[in-house]
Amino acid sequence: MNLIEVKNLEKIYENGENKTVALGGVSFSVEKGEFIAIMGPSGSGKSTLLHLLGFLDRQTAGTYKFDEKQIDEYSEDELAKIRNKKIGFVFQAFNLLARASVYENVKLPLFYSDIPEEEWDAKIKSAVEAVGMSNRLTHEPGELSGGEKQRAAIARSLVLAPEMILADEPTGNLDSKNSEAIIKLLDELNRKTGRTIILITHEESIAKYAQRFIRMMDGKIENDKKI
Amino acid sequence: MKTKRLFKTAMTGLKTHKSRSFLTILGIVIGITAIILVMSIGQGAQDLILSQIQGLGSRTIVVIPGREPSGPSDIAQVFSDSLKEKDLNLISRKENVPNAEKIMPIVFGGESSAYGNETYRATVLGASADVFDVFDIYPAKGIPFSESDVRGRQAYAVIGSKVKTELFGESEAVGERIKIKEKNFRVIGILPKKGQVSFFNFDEIILVTYTVGQDSLFGIKYFHRFIISADTEENIPKVVEDLKITLRNSHGITDPEKDDFFVQTQADLALRIGTVTNILTLLLVSIAAISLVVGGIGIMNIMLVAVTERTREIGLRKALGAANRDILRQFLFEAVILTGIGGILGILIGALLAFGVSLILSKALGLSWTFSFPVFGAVIGFLVSGIIGLIFGIYPARKAAQKNPIDALRYE
Repeated sequence: MNLIEVKNLEKIYENGENKTVALGGVSFSVEKGEFIAIMGPSGSGKSTLLHLLGFLDRQTAGTYKFDEKQIDEYSEDELAKIRNKKIGFVFQAFNLLARASVYENVKLPLFYSDIPEEEWDAKIKSAVEAVGMSNRLTHEPGELSGGEKQRAAIARSLVLAPEMILADEPTGNLDSKNSEAIIKLLDELNRKTGRTIILITHEESIAKYAQRFIRMMDGKIENDKKI
Repeated sequence: MKTKRLFKTAMTGLKTHKSRSFLTILGIVIGITAIILVMSIGQGAQDLILSQIQGLGSRTIVVIPGREPSGPSDIAQVFSDSLKEKDLNLISRKENVPNAEKIMPIVFGGESSAYGNETYRATVLGASADVFDVFDIYPAKGIPFSESDVRGRQAYAVIGSKVKTELFGESEAVGERIKIKEKNFRVIGILPKKGQVSFFNFDEIILVTYTVGQDSLFGIKYFHRFIISADTEENIPKVVEDLKITLRNSHGITDPEKDDFFVQTQADLALRIGTVTNILTLLLVSIAAISLVVGGIGIMNIMLVAVTERTREIGLRKALGAANRDILRQFLFEAVILTGIGGILGILIGALLAFGVSLILSKALGLSWTFSFPVFGAVIGFLVSGIIGLIFGIYPARKAAQKNPIDALRYE
């Protein structure tokens, strides 16, 4: 079953006379449980594509069907709800709240959910355990290594058990050893829980864990192959 | 998002910026402190003045010569010579003012007194023998003068405790001769320490008979006041009316607009003084309120800085599922919680300062000052500080809510 279906997705920034084509008509579909790596040089439109897929931005043309539903007509509030429920984000710069513990950081998405507060503690602890950070619950980001920070961020993306995890260069700020640990963690999440993962990366060594590669160039898909 | 969750989110936001949060609310704290302080002192002053008026007794009616002053420029009218001996005799007749229990004429003025080489400028109050009953003050040593002393124009003086100390020090005063305006008076009594009662500070007073006061000291044929007490409180309006009719007849006045005297009851006076102190308090409170507005602008300023500084956090929250209104409410809540805490701190500090002031006034100055906590002021102060948070928080909160999540996430 297709989780994502996009057709002729376009994103054009207009600034007076200037037109910048960030995404110039992209069509593809993603099945549930796929692990996809999007690669390409900077400015090729991969981040724009990821933002559109994650409902952080709206396309200027084309259609986007998520989980069998046409979401183009959704309001900002409805999009916020889908982001909360169905999607987990992992960022290159981690984006953890600096003066809050791992526990507090992982709790963040729960604030915006419908889940009753009695269930929060168990959900936070199981998400933190899934990334192997149970011994770091009360630590603040300043006391963690880069790899641990990204683990905490992944725990945050998992806490509401989303359909899909979108990762924007999750290993971009990490050394090779930590990078490998993080990609293995994502790979495990994909294989064990069948969670759809789409990640952007520059590194071939990271991309090789994926089952499908989408190579982008100048706002278009240059190459899309499955292994 | 539920209110409880919002509150928690906002509190987390505030806790992570403790020192800045505190500095932000200083303006509000100072504003509310000033308001509570002013209101408490205003209330204390009013209570003090009213209790002194009540010292004269609630059945007391005062007849004052001249037209009733309608404004500050009318003050000259107070010094008039319209109350004469003839008027005193007329209002003293039972058929004219049947419900008057006591009628006391008084004259007063500042005069220098002397004993040996010591001199003291005292308030000299010339009255009938009723003065001791009316003001409820009797000599602690010696005796009061009597009605026959008044009629017999005896040069007797009953002196206040401070006058005694200033002129005589520790030595015996009763029986001694003092000079008031170069005239000889015999001290027959010394008043106990009493302080302010109505218009007079009885510690600094010299009581003489009004007959001697008129002839020897002030050289006048009229009175400064008639002080009358009604037999019951219910009869006060009737006594006032009888007094007016009698005096108008005596003065040949037909048009009440042309009255050359006016009648004041203690209730009038209390009301009037209450109005004056209320206006003064209001004035001071509105000045203090300006600092609240300044404090509010300070909050808006800091909140705007915070919104810019926390752009990434806002973007992150949106990516994690926060709707625009969640962000709006979070920042609004932070502002309201900040100002609310500022309000509570201000109320506490203001009350403490007011309590300190009341201690100083009552202990150091010997005033019978009572501390009062302005409950109304505290409630209003708390509400106003919350509202200020709402008003000055809405603009920064809207700015935060309208941030585009991608721009916010990219912000360095």
